[in-house]
Amino acid sequence: MARFIAQRLVAALITIWIATIAVTLLIHLVPGDPVRIMYSGFQTTDAEIEAIRERLGLDQPVVVQYVMYLGRVLQGDLGYSIVGDQPVLDTLLQRFPATLALTVSALIIAVVVGGSLGFFAAYKKGTAWDFGAMTLAIVGVSMPHFWLGLLLLFLFAMTLEWLPVGGSGWQNLILPALTLGLATGAVIARLTRSAMIDIFDQDFVRTAHAKGLPKTLVLYRHALRSGLVPVVSMLGLQFAYLMGGAIVIENVFAWNGVGRLAIQAVFARDYPLIQGFILFFATVVALVSVIIDVAYALLDPRIRYGT
Amino acid sequence: MSAALLRVEGLTVAFGHGRGRNVAVEGLSYHLDAGETLAIVGESGSGKSVSSMALLGLLPPRTAHIEGGRALYRGDDLLSLPEAGLRALRGNRIAMIFQEPMTSLTPVIRIGQQLTEALEEHRGLSGAEARDKALEMLRLVDLSDPPRRMRQFPHELSGGMRQRVMIAMAMALEPDILIADEPTTALDVTVQAQILDLMRDVQARFGTAILLITHDMGVVAEMADRVVVMNKGRKVEEGPVGAIFARPQAEYTARLLAAVPRLGARREEDGPRPVTADPARPGEVVLHAEGLGKTFAGRGGLFRKAAGTVAMDDVGFTVRAGETLALVGESGSGKSTSGRAVLRLLEVDEGRIELEGEDLRALPHGSLRKARRAMQMVFQDPFAALNPRMSVGRLIGEPMYIHGIAQGAELQDRVAELLRRVGLEADHMQRYPHEFSGGQRQRICIARALGVEPKLIVADEPTSALDVSVQAQVLELMLELQQSMGLAYLFISHDMAVVEEMAHRVAVMRAGRIVEMGPRRDVLGDPRHPYTSALLAAVPRPDPTALRGKLPKLDLDTLPMGALRQAAPNHWVAA
Repeated sequence: MARFIAQRLVAALITIWIATIAVTLLIHLVPGDPVRIMYSGFQTTDAEIEAIRERLGLDQPVVVQYVMYLGRVLQGDLGYSIVGDQPVLDTLLQRFPATLALTVSALIIAVVVGGSLGFFAAYKKGTAWDFGAMTLAIVGVSMPHFWLGLLLLFLFAMTLEWLPVGGSGWQNLILPALTLGLATGAVIARLTRSAMIDIFDQDFVRTAHAKGLPKTLVLYRHALRSGLVPVVSMLGLQFAYLMGGAIVIENVFAWNGVGRLAIQAVFARDYPLIQGFILFFATVVALVSVIIDVAYALLDPRIRYGT
Repeated sequence: MSAALLRVEGLTVAFGHGRGRNVAVEGLSYHLDAGETLAIVGESGSGKSVSSMALLGLLPPRTAHIEGGRALYRGDDLLSLPEAGLRALRGNRIAMIFQEPMTSLTPVIRIGQQLTEALEEHRGLSGAEARDKALEMLRLVDLSDPPRRMRQFPHELSGGMRQRVMIAMAMALEPDILIADEPTTALDVTVQAQILDLMRDVQARFGTAILLITHDMGVVAEMADRVVVMNKGRKVEEGPVGAIFARPQAEYTARLLAAVPRLGARREEDGPRPVTADPARPGEVVLHAEGLGKTFAGRGGLFRKAAGTVAMDDVGFTVRAGETLALVGESGSGKSTSGRAVLRLLEVDEGRIELEGEDLRALPHGSLRKARRAMQMVFQDPFAALNPRMSVGRLIGEPMYIHGIAQGAELQDRVAELLRRVGLEADHMQRYPHEFSGGQRQRICIARALGVEPKLIVADEPTSALDVSVQAQVLELMLELQQSMGLAYLFISHDMAVVEEMAHRVAVMRAGRIVEMGPRRDVLGDPRHPYTSALLAAVPRPDPTALRGKLPKLDLDTLPMGALRQAAPNHWVAA
């Protein structure tokens, strides 16, 4: 198991390392001069531009820039944010708890709602219940985040006035988390359904029935746990989608997380912040993937013991 | 009359409704007495499994319907019992074991819990009591170190061990009836013999009645007191096992028994049965392999290499035109690996493979493709070996097209000719694989292999997935093709009786090495290696009057596994 975790961690580190390369190249792939773009709103002389360029190291060859950047990143220095007027890392860490609260509650909603819906549909396979549940899931998968978010806002915040439109309290978390969670839940519902349909046909489920176990025990102890294995293995990917979705949702609901910050950074052409955000984002997704892989291994002993 | 433990009357089961309705079991009646073994035998589609699943309410809901009949057990009709009543009997008074031990245990739950949960459920035992009982049962089924087994997960156990766990699980509540659905079909023959012995032991100890569902006449002869023969959902015959084998009344039973290959039937003959007027005699060497080695890499760690699994070690043999060399052995013996290595479907680590004198391993890729024309493969599973989205005509024509042998109208003519050659109709080429039975599909596979006029056919368990009557026809076809066309066969099989029918020479494999090789008559009639003897002794005889004796105990540590030495003319044995 220790070896398994070590392997996953190395894979995560490689992912993050690749992200550092992408982040460095980013500046050079954008058409135009990054420094001029960054300071296009300010009155600057050519000499000042040159000075900034030199300060940011942008006059150096790309490889040198990369090595310098990597060196700073390793020391926890992601640069200085123009928007936040403070170090990028501090800006990100201030905002991150809000995003974490949003994505984790969304993931919980997605797993609970999607998992139950998929399990139920599989159990009722071929009936109107199954059809209804899967139609709902298709709608959920197809509808863009922001649109569902706006609909929920309109219904619960503006028409019914049950929940606030925006802000930072826990009541304000409900709608964005629901929006993000339901869309992902729809994907999980479909995954769970097909996994469970497979499992219900397995010999070992028949064995459990043949033992005379109560149906609930067969379903939850024998079938569900085995069926969750492929679903959990997909959660890492789903979490990455959730993080992506959070960028949009935070803006729709004015939720002050890193996603909203990222959009602000883009509009302000705050390159250090954009770079820092991408790297931070990649790191979070990679680490969450490790956690989910470990959970997956805990569920399936065949992976745990490496056979 | 009413003394029977279980009395089934007029059981009818159908799948689907209306026009799609398909009757799987029709008007089946039989009884099972306390403590006896009743075998229900039949080929695939006979309804033997469906009829016994119906008793316990284990048929797939919504698709299968019990349309009629009664199954009386201790005054209750199992078929009309409410789910709760049936559940109280299931696993408690009537237990079941299944064919596939590899998939019949829940992979994510420890063996211990799988054993104890039924005890806790039906007997209300406490955790500790259930645990003690489970340990006792594991000891009873001869598993070593029961406390450790309790903590293990199913994937850590071999197939035979898992079937022992299944038996322990089924017998823990000392049921009146054990329904065993093909309990040894997925197991190696030596393991099968041990499991059958174990089933008899527990039956004697607990006085359990066994309802044994099987297709294997050898198992029937060995285990059953009485036999019910089923065909196409109906009972065709019922009687004591001796009478069924000695004087079958129904024509179907007689045909079934005649199709069963019997080990020893050709003991006195040198080669396979001649099926053509002038059978080809073994001629030139087609295939020569020597020193083949293959190690499958293990899962290494981050920084260290893991020891791999040795699949083939110093394997060598020769096959001549018109000759069949059988590679026999149990699962993991390396027989299939050897077959694939010969076709270069997998890369060997070392050794030489010569096809008509040409070293295949030295050939560049292009020439290898040409060389492949001379050797073709027939696989075990004819359902998986044919692309379901291609018509039979395209399936058979494709290799000829690829090798530039024929195209257009000529290709059509050749496909038609090949179909007739393997006993199918020319107009079958428009159809798709799913429209054919297993035996017909295997004929299609053979036709596809023949199209490129190969010298050598590697047949990997070509009849293992087929019913015995179909197996007999496919084997007959293979013999006829060999004797009229002079084909060389590398025939991979676990079935000693089939090998006796087909082979000129036999190579016995164990743990990646050939332990004995020689003329079929010598190897099967006068085995010199203890493993060969054990393998032969474990084969169940389809004859209730001549049962196999006690299994010889193999001492695996002292088993000779060294280089081959000549023990008699052309008869090689590992030293």
